[in-house]
Amino acid sequence: MRIKIFLLTFMITILAASCSGMPSGENPSEDLSHIRLPMGYIPNVQYAPFYLGMEKGFFVEAGIDLEFDYAFETDGVALVGANELQFSIVSGEQVPIARAEGLPIVYVMAWYEKYPIAIIAKSEQNVKIPLDMAGKRVALPGLFGANYVGLRALMGEVGLEEDDLILESVGFNQVEVLAADTTDVIVGYIANEPVQLKSLGYDLDVILVSDYLGLVSNGLITNETTLAENPDLVQRMVSATLKSIQYAVEHPEEAFQACFDFIEGLENADQEVQFEVMKTSMELYQTDPYGYSDPADWSNMQDVLLEMGLMKREINLEEAYTNEFSQ
Amino acid sequence: MKDLAGTLGKLGFLLLSLLVGLLLWQGFTTFSQIPSFIFPSPEEVWIRLVIVLKDGSLLKHTLITLQEVLLGLALGLTAATVTGYLLTKSRVVERLLSPYIVASQSIPIVAIAPLLVIWLGPGILSKILTSALIVFFPVLVNTIVGLRSVPVELYDLMKSLQASSWQRIVKLEIPASLPVFLGGLRIGATLAVIGAVVGEFVGADKGLGFLVNVGRGLYDTALVFVAVFTLVFLALGLYSAVVFLENHLLSWQKRNDD
Repeated sequence: MRIKIFLLTFMITILAASCSGMPSGENPSEDLSHIRLPMGYIPNVQYAPFYLGMEKGFFVEAGIDLEFDYAFETDGVALVGANELQFSIVSGEQVPIARAEGLPIVYVMAWYEKYPIAIIAKSEQNVKIPLDMAGKRVALPGLFGANYVGLRALMGEVGLEEDDLILESVGFNQVEVLAADTTDVIVGYIANEPVQLKSLGYDLDVILVSDYLGLVSNGLITNETTLAENPDLVQRMVSATLKSIQYAVEHPEEAFQACFDFIEGLENADQEVQFEVMKTSMELYQTDPYGYSDPADWSNMQDVLLEMGLMKREINLEEAYTNEFSQ
Repeated sequence: MKDLAGTLGKLGFLLLSLLVGLLLWQGFTTFSQIPSFIFPSPEEVWIRLVIVLKDGSLLKHTLITLQEVLLGLALGLTAATVTGYLLTKSRVVERLLSPYIVASQSIPIVAIAPLLVIWLGPGILSKILTSALIVFFPVLVNTIVGLRSVPVELYDLMKSLQASSWQRIVKLEIPASLPVFLGGLRIGATLAVIGAVVGEFVGADKGLGFLVNVGRGLYDTALVFVAVFTLVFLALGLYSAVVFLENHLLSWQKRNDD
């Protein structure tokens, strides 16, 4: 009997603890629009503007009860395309690819101005320009996503073919394989892999894709239904996000502090490295003017994707994005 | 004649079940009007299947995965059988290895797979090892159970007949433990497919796991379905092969039962 009472008390305690620990996003206020926002990656300091915006109340001021969702990027795009969700953070190449497959998504705010992909090699590899990759082993997560698109765009720009180098799909283990010398060159995010490798003491050569070609980069998407039926919600979401980005750029220390409430275990990570990751990502932001998406970048992106065979058909780019809400 | 009628009856039920399943699926996608990038209809999956069959890409990726699965299965099977035999025969080995073997089962294979890519490189070896690791435990357990189920009296009989160690293994232990061992092999054969695909998910540029990744990356859900169904057929094929092997190798047991 005692054991039964103990077990019952234990279960009630666990249940009560779970309920009290629920994020506020799961119990939205009736006055606010509840938005579940797929971020496309795990909790990370690169999302500092969003965390800061939550802490400063910018989203609540805009009538939005924001909840973060760290599912796969493509799942977020599919859910927005199916109008199951209203918004998602995505890498630029996803929009033309998805629209070519019939997903009615629209890019409504540029977050990054520069495409965040870089070619990274240890200095002794002597990879100073993209053509130096010829004949080398180049590791990337896989033949999909922003890393692959960035690499292929750069290769196309300098006249390299896939047969000119040895592509290796290594998952998201680029730092480890370069450190272990099991590859010669890696493809990664400017704000992530180079910062981590430098913190480990390696001298690196880093080639930015954005130095060679302008490509549409990370931003906020919605769908055609939300755009048509609730443009006010889109405007409020874009405005709150831009306000958060601007405030974070102007107050990086405060932005970093905000991350601790959203990223489990950040207090045990190397603070200098994490701050550097955040600062480096901020250098990529679209700041002049905030949120503006360059038509030339869209055109370049479509050309690259068609050339790679990742789009079945050409799309009308004017339907794929708008600068209306960021002005 | 009776057997033939029974087999035809079973086949009829199977076809009926498949047909009902397809009709329900088609009905669901038609009436729910769910977008094809979320849930494609059987017709869309069929069209995609025909395309990848014609361009040869499905066969290419299937053969890669099959190669990884068979090599992984062979490696896992060999390691598990040898280890299982040693564990049954030596108390010292059992005490030394058991904690590691049991602990290893609590590690999810998806957590290990990225490390294997780092240690062994992005080639086929990391996928073979992922597959072998997932096969190892069920085969090991069944090997041990099978060997321990051999009646002691039969060992005594072999001893009285002055059988050599080799004769004891071949004439007694293998036949006696085979039914349980093959039960483990049934599970291992299907798990080997999962292992290889987990390896391909982590980092690969070929194989059915890679094809699933490509489908997801391009919002081509019909392609994801084609790859998944191919994996199901692969697993069913391997399972059926083990059942066939079982029927062949254990025919003496059935005769005895009769």
